Amino acid sequence: MKNTLYAAAAVASNSFRESVRNRFFTLFAVFAFTSIYASVLAGVMAVDQEGRVLADMGLALIELTALAYALFSASSSLLKEAETKTIYLVFSRPVPRWSYLAGKLAGVLLTSAFMLAVMGLMHLLLLSFRGFGVPPFYAWALGGSFLKLAVITSFAFFVSLFSTSPVSTLVISGILWTLGHFVPETRFLADQAGGLKGTALNAAVWLIPNLQLFNARDVSGSACVLGAPAFVSAAAWVGGSYLAALWLLRRKEF
Amino acid sequence: MEKRAGLFLLLAALLAWGAGSSAAFRGYRTQFPPPGEIKQAGGGAPADMFALAFGARRLFADLWFVRLMQYYGTRELSDDEEQEELESHGKPGHHCHHGADFGKGRYPDFLPMSLHILQLDPGFTAACLYSAASLAFNLERPDEAEAVLNYGLRYSPKEWKYLSVLAAIGYTKAKDPNAVASAIAPMLKDPDCPVMLKQLAAFLNKRAGNYAAAAAIYADILVTTKDPAYLRNAARELEKLKGRTSKR
Amino acid sequence: MTGPTVSFRGVEKTYRRPQLLGAVYHTAVKELSFEIPAGEVTGLLGLNGAGKTTIMKLITGLLFPTAGSVEIFGLPPTSRAAKGSVGFLPELPYFSPQESPGAVLAYYGRLSGLGGPDLAAGVEGALRRTGLEPHAGKRISEFSKGMLQRLGLAQALLHKPRLLVLDEPVSGLDPLAIHDIRGLLAALNADGCTIFLSSHSISEVEKLCSRVLIMVRGSLARTVTRAEWEAAPGGLEAIFVETVK
Repeated sequence: MKNTLYAAAAVASNSFRESVRNRFFTLFAVFAFTSIYASVLAGVMAVDQEGRVLADMGLALIELTALAYALFSASSSLLKEAETKTIYLVFSRPVPRWSYLAGKLAGVLLTSAFMLAVMGLMHLLLLSFRGFGVPPFYAWALGGSFLKLAVITSFAFFVSLFSTSPVSTLVISGILWTLGHFVPETRFLADQAGGLKGTALNAAVWLIPNLQLFNARDVSGSACVLGAPAFVSAAAWVGGSYLAALWLLRRKEF
Repeated sequence: MEKRAGLFLLLAALLAWGAGSSAAFRGYRTQFPPPGEIKQAGGGAPADMFALAFGARRLFADLWFVRLMQYYGTRELSDDEEQEELESHGKPGHHCHHGADFGKGRYPDFLPMSLHILQLDPGFTAACLYSAASLAFNLERPDEAEAVLNYGLRYSPKEWKYLSVLAAIGYTKAKDPNAVASAIAPMLKDPDCPVMLKQLAAFLNKRAGNYAAAAAIYADILVTTKDPAYLRNAARELEKLKGRTSKR
Repeated sequence: MTGPTVSFRGVEKTYRRPQLLGAVYHTAVKELSFEIPAGEVTGLLGLNGAGKTTIMKLITGLLFPTAGSVEIFGLPPTSRAAKGSVGFLPELPYFSPQESPGAVLAYYGRLSGLGGPDLAAGVEGALRRTGLEPHAGKRISEFSKGMLQRLGLAQALLHKPRLLVLDEPVSGLDPLAIHDIRGLLAALNADGCTIFLSSHSISEVEKLCSRVLIMVRGSLARTVTRAEWEAAPGGLEAIFVETVK
C-alpha cells in the first residue's frame, strides 16, 4: 500500500511539474493578469462601487482562467501520454491503475490550486494598490472555485477516457459546467412541472452537479460560507467521477 | 471475477455520484429569485443568460449597476428644453444650469433597471439603496423608490437599512425633515450608504442649523465618494460652512 | 529447476475497432505458443504488422490476450511481482523535453518502487552503464536520437530487472553506440538477465541472440537456434527471407 501511494505521489508530482512548465500555463496566467488589471477600467466606471466590481470581476476571471487550464490539462493529459507512449513506461511497471489515475487527478488539482493562489495574490495586490482591503468572503470564494474545478476536472478525466478527442472532452465538460449553474433553476422548474417533463427535470437535478453550491463568490454575507454539504458533495462527485474513470481505465489497453 | 470487479466499480461510482447529489439537494437553498422573475431592461437577455450560465450573477449585477449609473449620469433634456437652452444661452436673463440639477429628470428606465439589478443579485444592498435614494430624493418618485425597497426586503428581510430608507421616505411625504434626518442618521457611516443620502443628511442638518454635523458629513463625503459632482458640491458646502462655523 | 521466464500458450490477440455500425476485428496474433527459458537472449523477427509489438505488449501487461495464457516467471503479466521484474524499452520512447535525464530516471525509479539511496544509486548506475553520465547536466531537448534511445534503455535497467523486453533497442544508434549497447546487453545476460528483443536488423540479432522466433502474419512461423543459422548457407537472413515469403 505504501509503495502504491508513493507511486501516486510520484505521478502527482510529475503531473504538477509538467503542468506548470507547459507554455500554455504561462499563456493562461498572462491572460488572467492582463484581464484582471484591465478590469480597473470597469472599476473606475463603477465610481463608489469600484471595490466590489474589482473583486467580482477579478474572482470571475480567476475562476474562468483556472477552469480553462484545468480542462485543457485534464482533457489532454491521458491522451498525450498514450500517444507519446509514455504510458507504456508507466504501466509496464508495478503501478496500479487506480494509483496512476489518483496521481494524475491530484496533479491537475494541485496545478489548479496553485493557479488560483497565484492569481488570487495578484488580484489582492491590485485591490491593495487601488486602496481596497481583502473582501470578507475572499477565501471562501477561492475555496468554492477550487471545489468547482475539482468536480469538473474529475469529470473531464472520466470523459477523456471514452471521448474521441480532447476537443470533445472540453466541450462536454464545458456544457456540464454551464448546466451545473442552472441546477437551482432546473429544480424550481421541476417543482412546478408535472408528468414526464417533471420527471426529466428531476433526473437532471440528480445527474448534474449543482455548482451553485460552491459559488461563494456569487453570494453575499454569511451565505458565502461553504457548509458541510458543499464539501461532502464535492468529495462524492469527485469520487464518483474517479471511480467511473477507473472503471474505464482498469481494462484499457495501450 | 474481472467483470464482477468492474460492475462493483461502476455501482460504487453511481452511488458516490448519487450521494453527492443527495447532499447537494438537501444542503442547498437558493438565495436568488426564480428565473421567471428576471424581467428584461434594455435588451439584456443574452447577458442574463451568461450571468446564469457562468454563475456570475453578482458580476453581471455590477455591470448593470454601472449601466444604471451611466444612464443616470446622462443629462436628460426634452427637445423643447434643449431648443430653449440653445436659443437663450448667453443672452441676458438666461439661467444656465451647467449640469447642477443633481439628478432631476425623467429617466423612464430607472425603475426597471434598478429592479433588474436586484433580480440578478438581491444581495446588492448598495445598488438598492442607491436606486431608492435617487428615486425618492432626486427624481422625487417615492412610490417607485418604495417598490425597489420592498423588492429588496423580499430577499433580504433582515436588512435594516431598507427599513430606515422606507421610514425616511415616509417622513418626507409627511414633510418632517428632522425625522428624515433621524431616520437616515444610523446609516451614514455604513459602507453601503449611497452618497446622495449623505448629501441629503448634510443638507437637512445644515437647514436645521446643525452646522458642525453638516460639515462632518460633507467631510465624510469628500473621503468616501469618487463621484465628481458630489465631491464638488461637498467641497463648496464645506467652504461655506467654514465661514459659518468660524463666525460663531 | 526454475520454470521458463516467459510462457505463451495458445495465445490469441484480436483488436476490436468500433465503427459507426458495428466493429472491425483484426487478429494480430493467433495460436501462439512458445517459451523463453531463464538466462537466454531471444530475438523476435518479422515484417511490419507481423505481431512483434503485440507480443511485447502482452508480456508487459499493456495488452490482454483474447484467448490462451501468458505467464512471466509463472505469474500473470499484470501482477505486481511480474512487472517488478520486467524492464521494457518501447520503440521510440518519449521523454519530457524540459527535464534532465536524472529527473526522468528518478521519476521512473519511483514508479518502480525505488526510493532514497536505492533510487540515487539506481539512477547513477543506469546513467553510467548506458554512457549518459557525461550528458547528465543537459536537458532532454538537447539529446540526439541515439542518446534518447540510451535513456530509454537506462529507464528499463533502473530496478535491475530479471527480464528485459526491448523493442528495436539499437534503432537510430550509430555503429559505436550499437557496439556499446551490445556489450551492455551481453554483460547483463552474463549476470543472469533474460533478454527478449525485436529488431529489423538481422545482423544485430545474429550477434546477440542464441535463438530467434520468426513471426509471419500473426503466427509463429519458425524458431531458429544459433546452431541452425550458423550452419545454414546465407545465415539467418536467408532463413528469414525463405520463411516470410
